[in-house]
Amino acid sequence: MNALRRVAVIIGYEWRRALAKKKFIALVILVFAVQIMIFAIFNYLFTNPPTGLPTPLQEQLEQALEQTRPLMWIVEVLAPQGLFMSLVAIMIAGGSMSEEYEHGTADILLSKPITKIEYLTGKYLGGLLLLSFVTALTTMLGTILAVAFFSPQEHLQFIPHIYLAVLYSNLVFLSLAFMFSEVFRRTTLALLSAIGVFIASMMISGILSGVHGLTGESLYLEVSKWLPSWSVSNFPSFLMGELLNEPSIMFASLARGDLLFAGALVAVYTTVFIVVAIVRLVRSDVTKRTD
Amino acid sequence: MASQPVITVSSLTKYYGDFKALDSISFAVGKGWVYGYLGPNGAGKTTTIRTMLGLLKPDQGEVQITGINPTENPVQALQSLGYAPELPTMQTFFTGEQMLDFMGKMFGLATQVRKEKIKQLLDLVGLEEWGDKKIGKYSKGMVQRLSLALALVNDPMVLIMDEPTIGMDPEATAHFRNLFTTLSKQGKTVFISSHLLDEVQRICTHVGMINRGRMVFDGPITQVLETFTQQWVIEAELKKVTKTMISALKKLDYVQNVKSEENKLRIELKEKKDLRGEISSEIFKHKGVLLSLNLHRVTLEDAYLRALKGGQ
Repeated sequence: MNALRRVAVIIGYEWRRALAKKKFIALVILVFAVQIMIFAIFNYLFTNPPTGLPTPLQEQLEQALEQTRPLMWIVEVLAPQGLFMSLVAIMIAGGSMSEEYEHGTADILLSKPITKIEYLTGKYLGGLLLLSFVTALTTMLGTILAVAFFSPQEHLQFIPHIYLAVLYSNLVFLSLAFMFSEVFRRTTLALLSAIGVFIASMMISGILSGVHGLTGESLYLEVSKWLPSWSVSNFPSFLMGELLNEPSIMFASLARGDLLFAGALVAVYTTVFIVVAIVRLVRSDVTKRTD
Repeated sequence: MASQPVITVSSLTKYYGDFKALDSISFAVGKGWVYGYLGPNGAGKTTTIRTMLGLLKPDQGEVQITGINPTENPVQALQSLGYAPELPTMQTFFTGEQMLDFMGKMFGLATQVRKEKIKQLLDLVGLEEWGDKKIGKYSKGMVQRLSLALALVNDPMVLIMDEPTIGMDPEATAHFRNLFTTLSKQGKTVFISSHLLDEVQRICTHVGMINRGRMVFDGPITQVLETFTQQWVIEAELKKVTKTMISALKKLDYVQNVKSEENKLRIELKEKKDLRGEISSEIFKHKGVLLSLNLHRVTLEDAYLRALKGGQ
């Protein structure tokens, strides 16, 4: 059996392992719920636009709502991206390696004719495939809701681009949680660490942006760009801004930014995290059952 | 050893931090042997097995399975190896059939072959009616049986088992002991780590003993009994013991000493032979009436305890 087939066997195994977890299913349902909630909020705003605001603000709001309506599919797809899809990625990868050590099943798997690299590749790709499946579901659900209730929708030809951008940006936290899972070999510690990094990164990024807004000092913004959550949150939005390329659309122009830098940062973070996981697995003994 | 050994362990040393878990362990296991690996808790049995499987990297020394180092080339070394861990745990979301199918895939078995193997192995381990049930519903004994089935899925040439009959009922234990003997007769090599001395004495052809990370014995089971046996003893219970009978017994060439207590005799032999016939004839000559006559050979347990004592 060649290496590819062995990796494919582990991918299939990983897929089944993740789908058997109730916590994961619950989180995916939560993501769908968020999308439906966003749909409900915008549906309410479109049918009952706020009134009584000062005239320029009222005009701006009405213009924004008018411009948003034909692009609601993008709002629906990107809305869960910043927070929830990163959490889904963390949930998928956080126990991927560690649970096998904790349950003692790593002994069973790694005493079979497979190299550690093939095993790790299968595990990682299995998680990635699952994440791509969940991303596809959220993309589909968001688009279906938008098309069904806010027709006509524009720029639907960019669905694959947005889908791939969301998936690509989520590699950062998928890989981070995967690395922690292998390095710590304890699921709880791996999940808490990954979620901790994610929340801390979001908070620091928010604080730095706030300070930048108050002081006008660009250094704060530059520093925040290096945090992992910045590239994860912004890469799909920047891509959307580039693709729409219509400065008249308010939120498209807001989403303009350094696409190349965000993309490169996703690649760098992902590579570093995967390399650390590989080194840890290859250089150390297989930990005995711990639970 | 007539042919090339199937398992070779050479000067294997393994540290856990500062603790020396294995101290230059060496042994070789030949084709068709049932090798019993004995040792008290914490002696290093599981560490040896996990190193043999490539799960642990030795600090010194080397392991070869069919001439291949499993750490360097796991794909080749482990292709013809089956492993059943001590107290196995499995993914509870699989059914028994799915778990066997998955393991079959790991060994690259074709779909049809896997299908046939699954049925055959579930029958063999007595789980034919449980194949479609989730492993989470299995008892410990059933998981143990499934673990043995998994170890056999690739029709291995080498079978490594860590305490294979723990948690099994006596019937299943007997069944699997017979299976190991049958596999050995088919030319397969069976390596069993066990603390059940009776089990090892019954089915093993060779024995390795480890204590505190050091090998204290390695050889055929007959040799271990021979090496660590000091004396065979015949115990006789009679209606009445007489002084003339005792002195006559003491004069026999093959008798070392005779001790008496009420109507019982303890006859210590010079030779490791079953001499009950000769002893009973001598007792009858002196009008003795035998109520019972038992030979006490050294058991593996005696030998094991002596070996451990010697190894310390």
